[in-house]
Amino acid sequence: MKHNNIIYLFVLAIVAFTLPSCQKVINVNLNAADPKYVIEGNVTNLAGPYIIKITKTVNFDQLNDFPAVSGAVVSITDITANVADTLLELTPGYYTTSFIIGLPGHTYQLRITTNGKLFTASSTMPLPVTLDSLYMSKSAFGKPRPAIIYTDPISKGNYYYFAEYKNHVQTDNIYIRSDELINGETINQTLNRGGGESNLNTGDSLSIGLQCIDSAIYQYYYSLQQTKNQNAATPANPQTNITGGALGYFSAHTVSTRTVVVN
Amino acid sequence: MTHRTSVSKITGIGLVIIFMLTSFIATAQKYTISGNVKDKKTGEGLIGATFIVADNPSLGVATNEYGYYALTLPKGTYKLIFRSLGYTTQILNIVLDTNVKLNISAESADKQLTEVTINGNKVNTVKASQMGMTKLNVKDIKALPVLFGERDVMKIVQLLPGVEAAGDGNSGFYVRGGAIDQNLILLDEAIVYNPSHLLGFFSTFNSDALKDVTLYKGTAPAQFGGRLSSVMDIKMNDGNDKEYHVNGGIGLISSKIAVEGPIVKDEGSFLISARRTYADMFLKLSNDTNINKSRLYFYDLNTKFNYRLSKKDRLYLSGYFGKDQLGLGNTFGINWGNATGTLRWNHLVNDKLFSNTSLIFSDYNYNINVNSSGITAKIHSEIRDWNLKEELEYFSNPKNTIRIGFSSIYHTITPGTITGTNIITVAKPDNHTWENAVYVSNAWKPNSRWNIDYGIRLSMFSVFGGSDMYELNSNGAIKDTLKYGSGEIVKNYIMPEPRLSVSYSLNENSSIKAAYTRNSQSLHLISNSTSSNPTDKWVATNNIIKPEIADLGSLGYFRNLKNNMYELSAEAYYKYSQNQIDYKDGANVLNNDAIEPKLLFGQGRAYGLELSAKKTQGKFTGWISYTLSKTETQINGINNNQWYNARQDRTHNLSVVAVYELNKKWTLSSSFVYYTGDAVSFPSGKYNINNQTVFYYTERNGYRMPAYHRLDIGATKQLAHKKHFSSEISFSIYNAYGRENAYIITFQDDPNNAAKTQALQTSLFRFVPSVSYNFKF
Repeated sequence: MKHNNIIYLFVLAIVAFTLPSCQKVINVNLNAADPKYVIEGNVTNLAGPYIIKITKTVNFDQLNDFPAVSGAVVSITDITANVADTLLELTPGYYTTSFIIGLPGHTYQLRITTNGKLFTASSTMPLPVTLDSLYMSKSAFGKPRPAIIYTDPISKGNYYYFAEYKNHVQTDNIYIRSDELINGETINQTLNRGGGESNLNTGDSLSIGLQCIDSAIYQYYYSLQQTKNQNAATPANPQTNITGGALGYFSAHTVSTRTVVVN
Repeated sequence: MTHRTSVSKITGIGLVIIFMLTSFIATAQKYTISGNVKDKKTGEGLIGATFIVADNPSLGVATNEYGYYALTLPKGTYKLIFRSLGYTTQILNIVLDTNVKLNISAESADKQLTEVTINGNKVNTVKASQMGMTKLNVKDIKALPVLFGERDVMKIVQLLPGVEAAGDGNSGFYVRGGAIDQNLILLDEAIVYNPSHLLGFFSTFNSDALKDVTLYKGTAPAQFGGRLSSVMDIKMNDGNDKEYHVNGGIGLISSKIAVEGPIVKDEGSFLISARRTYADMFLKLSNDTNINKSRLYFYDLNTKFNYRLSKKDRLYLSGYFGKDQLGLGNTFGINWGNATGTLRWNHLVNDKLFSNTSLIFSDYNYNINVNSSGITAKIHSEIRDWNLKEELEYFSNPKNTIRIGFSSIYHTITPGTITGTNIITVAKPDNHTWENAVYVSNAWKPNSRWNIDYGIRLSMFSVFGGSDMYELNSNGAIKDTLKYGSGEIVKNYIMPEPRLSVSYSLNENSSIKAAYTRNSQSLHLISNSTSSNPTDKWVATNNIIKPEIADLGSLGYFRNLKNNMYELSAEAYYKYSQNQIDYKDGANVLNNDAIEPKLLFGQGRAYGLELSAKKTQGKFTGWISYTLSKTETQINGINNNQWYNARQDRTHNLSVVAVYELNKKWTLSSSFVYYTGDAVSFPSGKYNINNQTVFYYTERNGYRMPAYHRLDIGATKQLAHKKHFSSEISFSIYNAYGRENAYIITFQDDPNNAAKTQALQTSLFRFVPSVSYNFKF
């Protein structure tokens, strides 16, 4: 539960309401950083192919144009079934599987070599949980927000990431949940959206993809949320499950998606 | 084993030395002058008032925390000079041929002049051995401009050299590079664990109820312990034991009222004071049901009773209770607050031996209620202390005053239980620890040039079983959970803490002082937020988390000019701290998992130069303080194990305070502060993942916030000043030239250009005007 954030936002909202606080865009002279590899990798229980995306960081003052990393040797191995697949780079920076199948309970290992560097990661796909229902509700301030119903399995240690898509484009809201407090229950929860440009309007299509993720990926999303919130005294990079010094993640997860139209 | 031997050795040697120094064999017949010093009008005991033998200024004594003093001198005739800050000086002629009881009723200096007055209220600060110490006269700070017109001792303290504000409008402070939790905040001896309201914008101290505030910047004498950086010792008013009074104030966001009076005239008194904010009244004006149903307020209640049981015994009972309430409709609510209670018994064993026994209760808790998503959850967390203290103060002779005592605190920490409907109850067992200390110290004045305070405090910390203890592997992950029965001792820590401060007078107006102090701290506030957060965790030392230890050395030069009208000082310090604690990057600080694997341990160092110039008399008073300092941390696992700037490392820190008494009716005031921006972590790069821009951080605290500066101005007008009714009205403007000080700087995609990113600065307080009305009858 992110109470700190709630309290923080709540108080800032009150302060903003009662006091002449103000915001402005400023120039901050930020150092240049050596480019770092960024890996985004998913294997799901849906039909393949699965894609590994490799890019590099750029300096803060540069355009949001992130260089693709081409020519890497990328393989995914199903350790449980002992099947290895070498990925093909069909578009620069995008590496695609040929035949490997994502199966719940199987452990997948990612191996990337590029420019003399080796990055590895492994992730185990949890058993699937179905998203039973997606409907719209209203926030305390009257804004539309999604609500979902699903049933957590009896076994402990289930972790969820709810990917949100507005008009088929993934939004930057990060919703995660563990069953620490809710094990084995049917859960009816609202997803408290951030404000700003991702506001929902009548007629928008909204999809939620319920992902069952492993604990390392839960920790990744948790720390990604912290990095994005920028209210920690010491902001830091998210905790990755990739070894070798890259940013990003490699997740084997199940997906169950539902879509509604905002009314 | 060697550790323990050295401890008992040091204590032993200390005791022997003190015994030797104080047991001078009496050659002449000696008698004792003793008594209590009180304010004539209110009956409040005066702390730190001095009696000096006029012919031999090296002979003298100061009143203790309860206004008691005793001075033993050979038979003879003496001229004693009585002085107390803010009171008329008196000369007392005494024929000493028997033990004398001499109670003083001191008259406020503004009452003007009687025959015995000399030198107004001038007190020579040069001679005391104590350094790194400041006393705030609560009356004197009334004139200063403050945010929302709330007089707040914790914000005044931030204007002193070596003390820095934790942030814009924040009542928290850093002392000589120490963290906020390294300040021991005591209210009538009780620890206040969270001295802030409303995320730090206000302190828990209602200045109307306070008598005396003393800040020790790491150089506190042996009777204080348990925190590394400072002691802020706050004493509540006792209440007027002569007549009934009511005083109160009406401000923009809060109102307060205090009632005091005798229980039995001259024998006992009471004081009850209360304060409540009403910012939430503005919320009621909103049409939005969620805003007008929201709760946002805090209140404080201070009470104190004292009663003289006999000529030798006095009982004090004081209590504090405060609460903050925040709530959003009925979906979310949080409340937090402190409660303290102190029962004290002053007993005069004989004229020279003063005993104080205290039983102290202290509690801080927070409760969170969540009612959403079909879940009703309640989170409760608490830290609770029972403390028994005993101190004997022996006014041995004019050259020696000895203190000896112990303190025994039983801490109970409830780490956070979660209960509710549709959720699993999480109830971790309470954590129990026992903090004991014994100490002995002597204030020794060998001759008129030297003042030497020395002592030793032996701190002992025992960790009890019953809650989960862990064993970690070399990667810091949990290897094993250790099971200990409750009541079983898991670990004992013993820490000898020597204290020494020496002052050498070069002449009547200047002195050199030096001090060395070791402090230890066994309770740690683990926080990773930029604001003071009610849910920050207090964690006790255990088998993995070690007590923090700091060694502080300081050296100073003090000089008074023009008959003590100007006080100049320069102090330099160096502090080395061990077993400092920080979170690992990206640690989940909110869930209930074991905290130990999320922590890293390291060391800290801080050094600086503090300059201060103060004008204490005349129509125009005030001070300038400037601190040049460096604060660094080294923790394995952060910044490649290199030393890096602590967040509170501020190279320059300047405060200027000026008060001008225009005439009998108007007093003008202003204060100006400037300090180097905090060392913070900003991103050096960015990347895209899952269709969103994420910022890339390369080092901890590698950047700086913009420099902070602010000017506040204020004016107070005395409206009525009669015997039975007085009132005044105060106006102030906080941040008078509207500097946009950065509260936080965040980074985001440019809303107008998706291909770019930008930095956004949020500022809080600009041109905040306030008006408050105070009365007394």
